[in-house]
Amino acid sequence: MYYIRPQTLAKALEAGEEPGMLYLAGGTDLILKLRRREVQARGLVDLQAVAELRQIRAGGDWLEIGAMVSFADLLNNDTAAQEARALWLACSSMGAPQIRNQATLGGNLANCSPAADSLPALLVLQAQVRLLSRSGEVLLPLAEVLGRTPLWQPGTLLAGFRLPLRAGVSGFAKLGRRQALAIARLSAAVALREENGRACGVRVAFGAAGKRAFLSLDLAEELNGLVLDRGFTELACRQAKKVISRALGERASAPYKKEAVAGVVREALRTMEFVTSGEHADVDRKGGRGNED
Amino acid sequence: MKIELKVNGVDRRLEVEPEERLLDILRERLHLTGTKEGCGEGECGACTVIMDGKTVNSCMVLAGQADGHAVTTIEGLGKRGSLHPVQKAFLEEGAVQCGFCTPGMVLSAKALLDRNPHPGKEEIAVAMSGNLCRCTGYDRILKAVERAAGEVEQ
Repeated sequence: MYYIRPQTLAKALEAGEEPGMLYLAGGTDLILKLRRREVQARGLVDLQAVAELRQIRAGGDWLEIGAMVSFADLLNNDTAAQEARALWLACSSMGAPQIRNQATLGGNLANCSPAADSLPALLVLQAQVRLLSRSGEVLLPLAEVLGRTPLWQPGTLLAGFRLPLRAGVSGFAKLGRRQALAIARLSAAVALREENGRACGVRVAFGAAGKRAFLSLDLAEELNGLVLDRGFTELACRQAKKVISRALGERASAPYKKEAVAGVVREALRTMEFVTSGEHADVDRKGGRGNED
Repeated sequence: MKIELKVNGVDRRLEVEPEERLLDILRERLHLTGTKEGCGEGECGACTVIMDGKTVNSCMVLAGQADGHAVTTIEGLGKRGSLHPVQKAFLEEGAVQCGFCTPGMVLSAKALLDRNPHPGKEEIAVAMSGNLCRCTGYDRILKAVERAAGEVEQ
């Protein structure tokens, strides 16, 4: 195996086209997989020096998040904290500080673990995925990319994500065995706009409930147009149980997750109330060992 | 492959294998054995080092990734007789039992205090959440970081 670190996107693409080459983002998943021989590579193309991939930029109607933006970078970005609340919360609940410093959003999608924390959040935030290859650049809805196996063809470079700005409020919650480090047992993200006290454009996504994170269109449809009151939360929790039950079928975890999802959705909805800028989500991050609830 | 990195303020040029991790080169090539390998998969934080001011698990950083960066290990903190405030506080609070997790704990605390000299209890708990200890029950470790924060303040 060999290692290269290109300085430009063009050089990175060129290197990634060689057979057997893998792109290396933060490495928190890939390095373990290489060591366990679950993945083989002739060489690694480390993307750390490609400056464009590390940027978070808000311009016009879009928030652009480079694939090499780390979870910690995103947490330190005020625009992201305001405009992509669900993603910000997902980043804050992912891993330990050491992992958040190193792991990237691009890597989270590329690795595509069923429990990937950022994906349900990116789904409800209507993220588009920016993919580069020799034939140029394409922007695809994340939901569409997640429907493909493999996610993209070899030689494709995931450059980042594009999220619409001013798209409403969003929230995220996850169930882990303990607060720090825990791999999500179940996660939920919600986004909506409030219009005259009613929910519009509702989007709900789940993680760690099946092979990949997914948007529940059924649940969104049932919640659209409803008055945002206590009844909304109760209905969302009740219907989420049905969604998870369908998604998990006969899996051993189904009876547990089907019940647990009500609490996770309730929590995700609760996080949407905290949408003021600059505020830390410490309400949801007790940080220490074990949950309070 | 050749890499150059700064370890505890000293420039190092090394010939390494691409499969090697930062943890391996610190321990096996530079003989800085204060950095411990616990789980080897980013769960326990025993191998924590500070790279460019941020904590990372050195078991999950390839040698190549560390090329060109500045790394601080526990050996780069205080010496006998002139301990770093965090090390001093750990001793004074009795925050060390077997000691295996201690280098990582101390470095996580140092990185926090370098970034924020006045952390609250919550921030301390979050900053230390990636370091596991099987002996102490954490209480004294967290108290030690609070004490060190007081020292740094003065």
